[in-house]
Amino acid sequence: MARRREPAKYLVLLALVVLALMMLFPFVVVAFNALKSPSEYASNGPLALPEGVYLQGIIDFWNRVDFGQKLLNSIVISGSVAVLAVLVSLFNAYALGIGRVRGRLWVLVLFLLAFTLPQEALVYPLYYLSKQVGLYDTRLAVIIIFTVIQTAFGTYLLSSVLSSFPPEILEAARMDGASRWQVLWRVVVPLSRPTLAVLLVFFFIWTWNEFFLPLVFLISNDNQTVPVALGVLQGQRLMDATMSNASALLGIIPAIVFFLIFQRTLTRGITVGATK
Amino acid sequence: MFTAGRRAAAALSAALIAGTMALTGCGGDDSSGGKTLTLWHYEGPDSAMGVAWSEAIKEFEATHPGVKVKFEEKGFEQIQKTAPMVLNSRDAPDILEYNKGNATTGLLSKQGLLTDMSDEVAKRGWDKMLSPSLQTTARYDQRGVMGSGNWYGIPNYAEFVMVYYNKDLFAKHGVKVPTTLDEFTAAMETFVKAGVTPLAVGGKEYPAQQILYQLALSKADRGWVNAFQMYDGKVDFHDEAWTHGATTFADWVKRGYIAKNSAGIDAESMGTSFISGKFPIMVSGSWWYGRVAAEVKNFEWGTFLWPGNTMSAGSSGNLWVIPENSENKDLAYDFIDITMQKKIQNKLGNSGGVPVAADPAAITDPKSKELIENFTTLSGNDGLAFYPDWPAPGYYDVLVSGVQKLINGTASSDQVLDEIAKPYQEHAGTIGE
Repeated sequence: MARRREPAKYLVLLALVVLALMMLFPFVVVAFNALKSPSEYASNGPLALPEGVYLQGIIDFWNRVDFGQKLLNSIVISGSVAVLAVLVSLFNAYALGIGRVRGRLWVLVLFLLAFTLPQEALVYPLYYLSKQVGLYDTRLAVIIIFTVIQTAFGTYLLSSVLSSFPPEILEAARMDGASRWQVLWRVVVPLSRPTLAVLLVFFFIWTWNEFFLPLVFLISNDNQTVPVALGVLQGQRLMDATMSNASALLGIIPAIVFFLIFQRTLTRGITVGATK
Repeated sequence: MFTAGRRAAAALSAALIAGTMALTGCGGDDSSGGKTLTLWHYEGPDSAMGVAWSEAIKEFEATHPGVKVKFEEKGFEQIQKTAPMVLNSRDAPDILEYNKGNATTGLLSKQGLLTDMSDEVAKRGWDKMLSPSLQTTARYDQRGVMGSGNWYGIPNYAEFVMVYYNKDLFAKHGVKVPTTLDEFTAAMETFVKAGVTPLAVGGKEYPAQQILYQLALSKADRGWVNAFQMYDGKVDFHDEAWTHGATTFADWVKRGYIAKNSAGIDAESMGTSFISGKFPIMVSGSWWYGRVAAEVKNFEWGTFLWPGNTMSAGSSGNLWVIPENSENKDLAYDFIDITMQKKIQNKLGNSGGVPVAADPAAITDPKSKELIENFTTLSGNDGLAFYPDWPAPGYYDVLVSGVQKLINGTASSDQVLDEIAKPYQEHAGTIGE
């Protein structure tokens, strides 16, 4: 029996390795081309191995777009959005899921609608609004917009999680004389922390990768985020392949680092149930 | 148990607070006393325009003490997508590079977002520096159609479609530079007989339709071009020129001058395949010139005008435009004036660009000289015929799909001409409404 299962195990392993390689392949191509000089790329093509390590493309790109500033902008925007959106979602969900306000189903449907609206439909209204209040071309405008957009999803998700919150625990807390505010911070938040952490990570990564609205709202180079800065290299008719790859590499590294830091939170948040 | 998460949350909150503080600090930078000219363009720093314009910025700052130029490099897409919104706000730059054409500069001028610079043009004599077909894309009437009316932009450079050729492969197969379409065909026949596909073509993007247009232009004149591009005349897609273009193109595919698989090749791959020496000929625009010059290492190359044509696809380059909301229009005019001076124009020419007002004697690089002489010939014939995808919105995709059918052989040249005629006629019918 055991001997028979061996080849099957190897087959699964092999399939997994092939799958992993397929997933890694695009990253490897990007990394290779980022390390090639333009003439090397032109003569050997995109799939050849780099002949040496050519870092000039990465350095040039960093200086050309002032990448440090863009990183800071992206961190400030994504970080603020993640924290604010989780906070607002929590308040909303507390009212909808545990507070059970009247008409909560319709409120949820409304939030879901807001979440599914394509951003292209929002651009012009948001543009006029932000111009009216003097926030056009500020990072604050993007933070507010994405806080609202992410909150729509967060509220929807958290409400359904909190509506299955064990009522005994809430009851016990109230018997002990806890106010609503205390119930939220001393009971609900600690128990749903894994879910909140997952939301935080998702909001951060989603906001980090946003391109269209930041492109429209952050017109000064000083305010731009990383994905918008990558767009600088796309010329009208020509592209600079090696530098594009260098920029792509620089663009994905922060997201990968962030993922590696929080991956334990992510897996734990998904596996942990609401009651424990 | 959750310390990692908590610490991360704390770090993010700190970033948030720091960020909010940074946000309140980024008001305006007009407190320093001196004036600032905010300038946007989207040319790479090593391109001919990038090099010439950074020189122009230095020159401007030297001649305007106390004025600082705040240059921001933008992406082409970003300006295309956001220009109408940006120019309609207080955050508009003082001067920017913008795409020429009815759908871009024409549309913005119609919406009142661009400054009419006709008076300055006459005062500073820019109109005398630009040949008629270069002026076409700088002037727009009240319908936003190019060719006449007020001046809304100034081009510094030109571009045109020509033939790049691999001198080594020409010599190896005993082929001379052709001067007529027949000689060109014969040259390609020689390559095919030797088992070499002569033309590098990108059928997925603009290159293939430009070849078809070049072929049509061999039977066309200025009146034909103006009718097609500026709607001042009847356009018949089954006239001699269009028919010649489509049938000859289909014939070239059949004879193997154009590879069957080129329908799926994009412009970038076309360029790299020519640069790596796989094809003897590439038909494309002067925008490739700098890149070919920088990256071809293994063979000698040169350029010539499309054999036998007096006209060729081409136009002025992109324009300097001044937003109506610009706060420093006078400074912007001064900047344009500097970019039109011989010194900057010559720099543009020597860096692989096609200047509009350079001093031919000051162009030292022999290859650049050849390029600029070709342009002078074309411009002398009043031969800039613009691009086939210009006249109607979304026409680019119509042409790509039509020409792909010719390459794949899935439609006859007559069917393709019908297909590309329809959207054009529909749009032409709505002009001025």
